[in-house]
Amino acid sequence: MTGPSDVALRLRGVTVRFGERTALHDIDLEVPRGQLVALTGPNGSGKTTLLRAALGFLAPEAGSVELFGNEVLSLSVAERARRVAWVPQEENPREDAQLLDYVLYGRYAHLGWLQGETTRDRDAALRALRAVGLEERAGDGILSVSGGEKQRAILARALVQEAPLVLLDEPTSHLDIAHQLDFLTRVRELSRERGVTVVSALHDLNLAARFSDRIVVLSRGRRVADGVPSDVLSEELLARVWGVVADLRRDPRTGAPYLLPHHLVHPAPSGPATFLGKGPVHVVGGGGSGAPYLRVLSEAGYRVTAGALHLLDSDLETAESLGALTAVEVPFAPIGDEVRERLRALLEAATAIVVAPFPVGPSNLPNLEEVRRLLGRVPILLVHRTAGQEWDFTGGRARALENELRDGGAQTVTGTTQVLAALAARPVVPVAQ
Amino acid sequence: MGVTSAIPPGTPRGLGRRPWVLGLLLALLGLGVFFSPILGTVSVSPDTVLRILLHQVSGGALFSDPCAGASVPASGCAGLIEIVWDARLSEIMLAVVVGAGLGISGGTLQGVFRNPLADPFLLGISSGGTLGAAVVVVFRIGVSEQNLLLPLFAFVGAIGTGAVILVAARSRFGSVETLLLTGVALSSFLSAVLSLLLLYSPSGSLQVDFWLLGNLGSLDWTQDGIAFGVVLVAGTLLATYGRELNLLQLGPDVAQSLGVDSRKVRVRLLLLASVTTAAAVAFTGIIGFVGLVSPHVVRRIAGSDYRIVLPGAALVGGGFLLAARDLSLVAFPGTLLPIGIFTSFAGAPFFAYLLFRRRGASTMGAP
Repeated sequence: MTGPSDVALRLRGVTVRFGERTALHDIDLEVPRGQLVALTGPNGSGKTTLLRAALGFLAPEAGSVELFGNEVLSLSVAERARRVAWVPQEENPREDAQLLDYVLYGRYAHLGWLQGETTRDRDAALRALRAVGLEERAGDGILSVSGGEKQRAILARALVQEAPLVLLDEPTSHLDIAHQLDFLTRVRELSRERGVTVVSALHDLNLAARFSDRIVVLSRGRRVADGVPSDVLSEELLARVWGVVADLRRDPRTGAPYLLPHHLVHPAPSGPATFLGKGPVHVVGGGGSGAPYLRVLSEAGYRVTAGALHLLDSDLETAESLGALTAVEVPFAPIGDEVRERLRALLEAATAIVVAPFPVGPSNLPNLEEVRRLLGRVPILLVHRTAGQEWDFTGGRARALENELRDGGAQTVTGTTQVLAALAARPVVPVAQ
Repeated sequence: MGVTSAIPPGTPRGLGRRPWVLGLLLALLGLGVFFSPILGTVSVSPDTVLRILLHQVSGGALFSDPCAGASVPASGCAGLIEIVWDARLSEIMLAVVVGAGLGISGGTLQGVFRNPLADPFLLGISSGGTLGAAVVVVFRIGVSEQNLLLPLFAFVGAIGTGAVILVAARSRFGSVETLLLTGVALSSFLSAVLSLLLLYSPSGSLQVDFWLLGNLGSLDWTQDGIAFGVVLVAGTLLATYGRELNLLQLGPDVAQSLGVDSRKVRVRLLLLASVTTAAAVAFTGIIGFVGLVSPHVVRRIAGSDYRIVLPGAALVGGGFLLAARDLSLVAFPGTLLPIGIFTSFAGAPFFAYLLFRRRGASTMGAP
């Protein structure tokens, strides 16, 4: 049983429109006290708008935003400031001020009319500066410190504001990698020590996974994923929401998932995609059947992906030597759900699919099933099989699938030269930039 | 925890607060007010002037015959007292009050617009005031009461212009940029109306020109009292918004997240600055550069905290205008030039200096 005040931030059916554009679409979100939430999503997905709605900067067209059980717009500006602090992406102060004074600005909502800051306020400000490692710079001007120091000073200001909820909007986007780590580590420590609830927009998924208890993913104004980082982050999500094909790995020390982005899906789900090379072209093979196609395509300047393949397969060796992304299953095992999902992401990312003449058994039959799903959406090149060679070990199911592909518009080709010709003839390669 | 470490030495200029500067400025201004009556269009010896002042201030207790030993005019000692006390001192007080009003308005507007080049006439207030004054002159309204009607019309014209900006500020689209552009557009429009008006009444243009140049002449204590009252009330209210102005420098959103109702505060500040400026210029005409320069002088010497900048700009503005009056009397003995000419002479080079000097950290950043 949780009372209303156990929920730091609650959005119910929040819809925000800017003219024709819907920035937030019927968003529900509940952030319990003490949680460290990363809000992520592509550019324009509504992260900043959500934070601004939570701060009461804008009135939603529909729905309600509550801070600790009270509708945010029903609170006075000062009451809001005592409940929620904000660390913007970037702040451009126009007048110089000592860092100490800058931090003291955070006390404004706690002071009465014409009431000056007391020694206690100054001590609190100095403690906050120490907490962010800026105690020695208290007398320096805000216009003379570095970007990282400025962000930390703003964090210190949010601390002396003593708000139980802190919202950060891409606080590290102007910082280098060392300062990003430093800043977010401090945020996490302070959140833990003081029990402060933190919601931070972060477009860097790896940072988000590493520093948060929970990741909320927005895409085009909708909440499309929500949960602990290890559940939320997946290759499928990356392909679907960001339009990026990536490798999901796990940090061996922390166990946190992290992503190695590889290339863009075509077309990217949001916004125009640009490509630095041709492709990618996905090669479905096995037992060495795919290797010649992988090599020739790679040589011709296409980026290639491969799979699903079993470990120890010679095609896998070729693919890895070419730096291709692959979907890999353990030897002899049937292709499992996880590998199948990865295969699906790779296939969806491909601008064309080449089906090499590979022997098909029950364990790798899902390859053809997955290729069939893309029939009509992506050009499929079916390499002609030499007659008389046994290849279908599925009791006819593989043959039926191949026929289905052929009937559905897959083009039959013979050999690597024809594959290249077919790819060149079809405008499957997006305009390179 | 012993966290009382002082601000490290070597703190750059423009940082920190130096409230004692206000005391210094106030003392300097007081001295200026006391000694300025020595200067005037009629020659009166300095010791006589000081004796008259002390005589008046003490309610007649000191120097029962302040004119002893002086060359007394036909009207006797009372005539001298009238020159020093009524004419000169009222003129001096008006200079101080008007300068203070312009200074504090300038500081406020620079803060509200986050722009170091903002000044009290930015919002079209000068054009509105001029138009109001021109209406009285051109249409010969109440010729005998012009001493009060002209300021009244000027005030109404000025405040009316300010009101248009206020309406814009209250609207949803009232961004700082919108307000600035509205002010500029309004100024041009009102100047066109003024030109049209003067075209049909060439005789009025000389008087309007005189108003445009700004002057402290032909005044009495009544006018001082009105100007003093309005500027004091509005200026004091303005001075209480130093902290809010500090926060507004971080941008309206950040200020709001810290507890400042940005839009409401902005409207209030614009209203108070408009009233202060309108009251100041109604009696004297347009006096340029005081509002622009005074806040920057304070920033240079006392830091850029608005809690100091606002009262400081009032003191510096008052001193600036007083100094302009005194200097004009020293440079051109026997005549009182329109004071606006003098402030512009002194202000324009300073303005250029602000524009071209190194973009240091001590005053407001570039616009």
